[in-house]
Amino acid sequence: MSTIALPRSVKNSVALLGDPALLIPLVGVGVLIYLAVLPLFMLLLGSFQMEVAPREFVATFKNYQNAYASQYTYSTFRNSVIFASGSAVLAFALGTALAWLVERTNTPLRLVFIPLAVVPLILPGVLESIAWIFLLSPKFGYINVALMSLFGLESPPFNIFSLPGMIWAHSVGQVPLAFLMMVAAFKSMDPSLEESAMMSGANTPQTLRRITLRLLMPTSASVLLILFVRTLESFETPALIGIPARIYVYTSEIYLAFNEYPPDYGRGAALAVGLLILSAAGVWLYTRSTREGKRFQTVTGKAFRPRQFDLGPWRWVGFGFLMVYFLVVVLLPFLVMLWASFLPFFATPNLDALQKLSFENYQYLFGFRPFWDAMKNSIILAFMSASAAMVLTSLIAWIVYKSRLPGSWMLDFLAFVPITVPGIVLGMALILLYVAFPIPIYGTIWVLLIAYVTRYIPYGMRTASGAILQIHSELEEAAAASGASWWETFKRVTLPLLRPGIVAGWIYIFIVSFREFSTSVLLATGESRVLSILLFTMFEQGQVTVVAAIGILMILTLLTIVAVFYKLSGRVGIQT
Amino acid sequence: MYAMRYFFALMVGALVLSTLLFAGYVHAQGEPMDEVHKKALKEGGTLNFYGTLAQINAAKVLPAFEKRFPGIKINHVDATSDKLVARAVTEARGGRTIGDVLQIPLENVVQAFEQGLLVEQTIPESKEYPEGMKGNYWVASDLQFFIVAWNTKLVKVEEEPKQFDDFADPRWKNRMIAEPRDLELLMALAKYKFKSDEKAIALLKKIAANNVEFHSGHSQLAELLVAGQAAVCITCYSHHYPGRIRRGAPVNYMLTEGIASINATAVFKNPPHPNTAMLFARWIASQEGQKAMAVGGRTPAHPKIEPVDKTRTEKIYPISAADIKEYPKYEKIWKEIFNLR
Repeated sequence: MSTIALPRSVKNSVALLGDPALLIPLVGVGVLIYLAVLPLFMLLLGSFQMEVAPREFVATFKNYQNAYASQYTYSTFRNSVIFASGSAVLAFALGTALAWLVERTNTPLRLVFIPLAVVPLILPGVLESIAWIFLLSPKFGYINVALMSLFGLESPPFNIFSLPGMIWAHSVGQVPLAFLMMVAAFKSMDPSLEESAMMSGANTPQTLRRITLRLLMPTSASVLLILFVRTLESFETPALIGIPARIYVYTSEIYLAFNEYPPDYGRGAALAVGLLILSAAGVWLYTRSTREGKRFQTVTGKAFRPRQFDLGPWRWVGFGFLMVYFLVVVLLPFLVMLWASFLPFFATPNLDALQKLSFENYQYLFGFRPFWDAMKNSIILAFMSASAAMVLTSLIAWIVYKSRLPGSWMLDFLAFVPITVPGIVLGMALILLYVAFPIPIYGTIWVLLIAYVTRYIPYGMRTASGAILQIHSELEEAAAASGASWWETFKRVTLPLLRPGIVAGWIYIFIVSFREFSTSVLLATGESRVLSILLFTMFEQGQVTVVAAIGILMILTLLTIVAVFYKLSGRVGIQT
Repeated sequence: MYAMRYFFALMVGALVLSTLLFAGYVHAQGEPMDEVHKKALKEGGTLNFYGTLAQINAAKVLPAFEKRFPGIKINHVDATSDKLVARAVTEARGGRTIGDVLQIPLENVVQAFEQGLLVEQTIPESKEYPEGMKGNYWVASDLQFFIVAWNTKLVKVEEEPKQFDDFADPRWKNRMIAEPRDLELLMALAKYKFKSDEKAIALLKKIAANNVEFHSGHSQLAELLVAGQAAVCITCYSHHYPGRIRRGAPVNYMLTEGIASINATAVFKNPPHPNTAMLFARWIASQEGQKAMAVGGRTPAHPKIEPVDKTRTEKIYPISAADIKEYPKYEKIWKEIFNLR
């Protein structure tokens, strides 16, 4: 990789500090240490401290003993592992089946399903869990009620308040991720290996089993791993389904350690450190496995297009599968929300309930101040965190990939650290840090902004660095040769070229910030409350039909803002 | 002359005495609330209210305060009571007090007091409350009645429950829901209904054998009941039902016997807005504030203010502040009976 010409002063180490070319990386390292490392340090510290008298702490290992040698240690570990591996396997299986059908077969209408399969990404996790409670609750869940009356069953066939229920509710939200990753894998597969198998007399299932699936092994392993880690870190389903069902996993134990009286921070911090190590190990294995995957590289310089399997009459089965998936997993949760949002209280769809439909919940929300406060907070926070994270990461990515400044690897590493930190762990670390912080931002939306930016730096890094690597250095060199300073070059050449990548990253961070739950649940209070937390509190307070109306408005707002921004960014661009 | 001086001395003495008495009287009455309002406005016009008041009630009660005292905006931090206390403890641990007023069930107010979070003070309005409805750092804000409620589609008229004892019958097997923290049921049966721990435990063991399903949060219990998750809720709040019945929900509730528990208001020690905190604590305890509570759908604690809806039961088993001291004992038994964590 070539580098752009740096000012001569870079070589002169004495004059370095005044030079922005070095000052900026230094500031970058400082910012990242502040955002990503300091909270973790506080967490680690907290896990070895015990409060003996108000504001008087002693060093101890007892927190770890309380956290890992209690009567609940085994059940929490067992539940967490079952929940995470079950969700990973199910989401992977569904995602892979979908990806294979749309990418590699002649299933009818398959191309229509590509955008449809990704739609659930927009549905916040809290809403996803609530929708599945509406559908699969043992007594009133619509699916249970329908099946019981249809087949005259005595007991409900499904129970959302169970480990399998949790696995289902969580994994359907993970399918789009698995789908996208597997589509990419299927797309980039060299068909000559499969063709050779077919030529040698293998039929479709044999080719699938012995060539396609084996080629996909490394990708599959890494997809499974990332799904496992993400589930382990998630808190939406454990909060909404797990806690009422008294099925506790690590994230809910951490939450309860902080939120039950008397709160036990030491134990919570010790549990959080454990979860952090598990998740860091998962991420490390993931990066290793993707690196290993290069040995199996299937994309070469040769032009090719993966061949399509002819499924024959089976293609209609594939079509049926796609339809069922779309109707049950994508459409049904949305429809049940929409239906419930028009009801005065939760009721199964029948004539009686039909007569009760009204806009009452929406009218109620119109004059309900906490809703508007939360809406305002969510929009402002999503906007600010997406913008701040993208500005920060495009600068960092540029320094890491385009300059050869000493220590830029450290920036890359630091920007990656937050990906290993589960949301609830970050929330806890930030409380420990900011509740005693001299600047009074605890309890305000600023602490949430810090949390979101920290959480999403790795995502921003990925899109920004992807975009930066595509820009050949000769463009920047030309600017430099024409007398532009590095800042001018960055502003007038690099930044405009980065625009598509930055826009994509911005939209993604906007969406995930807008629906963020697991960090906010510990940090958001009264006036800093965001929509996902309002949903959670009001669901706990039993106003489920109002919650459904908030959910619908939340989805509509998200779609509108993303659409508007997408349009605007295409037209205006970030030019100077 | 001497008589004259004597008379003057007497007059001055009487004047001084009456001034002192008047000052004492005014002190006992407290400053007029409008004066406190003026001071409160100088504190920035915000009140950080840590309260379990559900949004559906808060939406009516809190704006009444904001309307009465213009310029003050309530920042309602709402969560379940143990979360609110845990939050206040966390903040205190960081050397910070963010809440002004705490309004949660009395047992949690006691916890917060034990942590040194609350200020000891008597507000003038507490005079109107009987003993047992106030303490030296709290005043009752409203009463909650634990009652039995049922889904009318799932419970036939002839099997409608008349008392808690009915649920020992196996016909209620797998049909009941309850809140996991409601040990008040055990306590009320033991201390007031049967006046015997053994009898209360024996009854609850029979009920437990009928497999009670537990869900956190009373509002959620009510909603689950309406939706038909269970036929009957054995530890629900009476104030949750009149509104739902008006909206046509298929539920009804038992008013023959119930357990009364106290929600109380207290002021944090060194709050960020001390006068605003005081203003709210006084207003909510006043007849005006209590009327707002009634309109907001709660059962007022003030002896002269009647609830708007039928929420008080005929037989009342009141959980007193003294009973709360025995919580740990009964909590242990309660958890053992129902195998709760």
